[in-house]
Amino acid sequence: MTTSHPGSPDLSGDWPPGEIARLLARVTRPGRYAGGEFNTRVKAGALPRIVLSYPDVYEIGVSNPALQILYSHLNDATPASAERAYCPWPDMADLMRASDVPLWTLETFSPVAECDLWGFTLPHELSYANVLEMLDLAGVPLHAAERDGEDPIVLGGGPAVANPWPVAPFFDAFFVGEVEDHLDAIVAALGEDGRRARLERLATVPGVWIPGSDRGPAVRQVFTGFSASDPVLRPVVPVMEAVHDRVVIEVMRGCTAGCRFCQAGMWYRPVRERPVDLVVAAADRLLDETGCDEVSLLSLSSCDYGGVTEALKRIRELRPGLRVSLPSLRIDSAAESLSSFAAGQRGSVTLAPEAGTQELRDAIDKGVDEAQFEEAVRATFQGGFTGLKLYFMIGLPGETEDDVLGIARMAATAARLAKEISRGRARLLVSVSSYVPKAHTPFELEPFAGAATLRVRQRLLRDAVPRGVRIAFHDVAASTVEATLARGGPGTDRLVEEAWCRGARFDGWSEHFDVRRWDDAAAATGTPLGEASVARPYWRDAVDARLSPDFLEDELVRARVGELTEDCRDGACGACGVCGGEIGMELLA
Amino acid sequence: MSWWLVSFSRTSPARYLSHLDTSRVVQRTFARAGVPIALSQGMRPKPRISLPLPLPVGAAGADELATVEVPKGIEATADVLRALREASPPGMEIVAIVDVGDPHPRPQARAAEYACLLDGDAGAIGAAVERYNHTEHAIRERVSPKGTRRLDLKEYVGDVVATAVGGGAHLGFTISHRQDGAARPQELIDLIAEWAQVEPVMQSLERSRITWDHGLPSPQAGQRKELSS
Repeated sequence: MTTSHPGSPDLSGDWPPGEIARLLARVTRPGRYAGGEFNTRVKAGALPRIVLSYPDVYEIGVSNPALQILYSHLNDATPASAERAYCPWPDMADLMRASDVPLWTLETFSPVAECDLWGFTLPHELSYANVLEMLDLAGVPLHAAERDGEDPIVLGGGPAVANPWPVAPFFDAFFVGEVEDHLDAIVAALGEDGRRARLERLATVPGVWIPGSDRGPAVRQVFTGFSASDPVLRPVVPVMEAVHDRVVIEVMRGCTAGCRFCQAGMWYRPVRERPVDLVVAAADRLLDETGCDEVSLLSLSSCDYGGVTEALKRIRELRPGLRVSLPSLRIDSAAESLSSFAAGQRGSVTLAPEAGTQELRDAIDKGVDEAQFEEAVRATFQGGFTGLKLYFMIGLPGETEDDVLGIARMAATAARLAKEISRGRARLLVSVSSYVPKAHTPFELEPFAGAATLRVRQRLLRDAVPRGVRIAFHDVAASTVEATLARGGPGTDRLVEEAWCRGARFDGWSEHFDVRRWDDAAAATGTPLGEASVARPYWRDAVDARLSPDFLEDELVRARVGELTEDCRDGACGACGVCGGEIGMELLA
Repeated sequence: MSWWLVSFSRTSPARYLSHLDTSRVVQRTFARAGVPIALSQGMRPKPRISLPLPLPVGAAGADELATVEVPKGIEATADVLRALREASPPGMEIVAIVDVGDPHPRPQARAAEYACLLDGDAGAIGAAVERYNHTEHAIRERVSPKGTRRLDLKEYVGDVVATAVGGGAHLGFTISHRQDGAARPQELIDLIAEWAQVEPVMQSLERSRITWDHGLPSPQAGQRKELSS
């Protein structure tokens, strides 16, 4: 039973236990490991026991909206108890090993290994080594084949499950897609009998894929009740600073803008919008519940949300001084969106043209033109915003040197406008990442540009941007590892395991990523890094994303001739294959 | 506008918070309790809240103080205190509130009492404490980005009391706060540990009491709002 104080643990005894307190006294930021947040749930004696994990440090993991959904639903709407564990920072990991203290949960300081099911949200490929790190720190055998009746069932979910092969042997099962409708079935599958029976029951839950089983690919699940459901109304509110320290309301799921490079845009189809009344009521309650002073309207493209203007206005009226933010802006409607921000919250704005020329933007189905870009930049500086970040990619399929130089030309335009309008007061940053082809996108079988080409293009661009414009590049080596894993087939897991054995941890953090570990692992396992091509779409053996292969192929053909595809939100159906039966778009009238 | 003195305690798990995190927790506790905090002027208004004596990360505090400015008309009643208590996260407890009106009282600490547990040979720790108590000067260097400062711990920390416990020793000491600042508990522990040749890690640290400047109404001095039950 949940205790009456907001999720309070029992502090009457030795809290935290002495052996853990000794570790906390020796590490940086011990608050990462101590729990005690607002709205923590502790369900003493509840079964089954589930642990939810995000394979990164606490400040990142606690901000993950998916984990909040799972935590709330499992604790509040099922008999199960759900607790949390995040990846210990290396200083803590070293101490845990030296002291022989296994990974614990934040709610009860219990060993993670004692749970019935350990669920991981897998956000991206560079988090895989951290999964192995957490399994090892918990004392759970790395390979599913080595686990026995005492070990938890390890279940993977999240967007990186689009291609589970690089981590397949480390998991007992994966859930593919949106799990909300199936949590009760998963809990029911964890009966009191043994591990084998539990796995057999789990295999019958729609969306579950068990590596090595002969049931074929799992079909991606779509939460058809999204629009009518409330967002999480009692989220865990971190007491130490997190990367996203605000009320988050998911206003829309899915995006049909159709950007051909974007895996999320393909993966989360179709678009489903929540009613404005529901969103505003949730914001009101969440502000009371959390004590936060900022609300973020979350989705893949919140400017496309049909109720965005009304929702922004009504939420801002809820509390004096309340800040409301959108995580992303569309360039073609940025001027209107920017004008709706209050004067007091005009900080930095990010615009994402993605590519430097019209031809390449059309090829990736990002049909933004130069005039729209210029208007958005003008609106940013005229609106008094203090900074502008422009986000581009290099290495896109079909990219030429002129496309790369086009980025410098757009940066020059923005710099000129900054000088004219804000008289040098506004900051301008050009951020350039390296494109990595992803599974289940029209570019899924297109070549990866490769480290050598990417470095040449980075130099070309660095030399071409006007003086005074700050430009930042993503690490090519990290992109090369990401590209290898994003489309890796069976056997790629050996690369991940070998890299972890050689010390790979927190590869998404520039201060921890060391490509030599991955180079050595590649040499040891015979798995080349950053191969341009992939033999076949291995991921389709495990995952059916509901996308029609004809649609993906047709989109690739359109990309090659620079033809745009209409957004099916207000244009013709693109026949992507997702809608049908109970699944369809749900738009605000 | 009116300033409140808010007395609170910080224990596990909240004792692992930083100073800024603790300040934000107090702020959010007020928001969750529905008690508004006045905002500063300017382009980016900030809540008017201050914790005048930072508590080190990992330290518990039995008698901590925050000053919070609230809009006119908000009264420091027992109901408000109850709401604040219910809105606090585990390990944070609002003990008392007292309205001191305007202007900002700007509390200055004069002394703070600490107790800590240091692991290691209790005999060696006791000998190191004896040595400290009898030495005339205990010079330590404090290195910061602004430079290196030499300070004599004996000017800030009086006699230390050591009591042997299983596996280590409890140390009790009082740090004086002067115009030129104060010593940090860790600086004393580093010295004792160095002399005792033990690891300078405190298994627990608690600040049990703070003495504030004259003229500061104390929430502990009978003016506080008690819960009716």
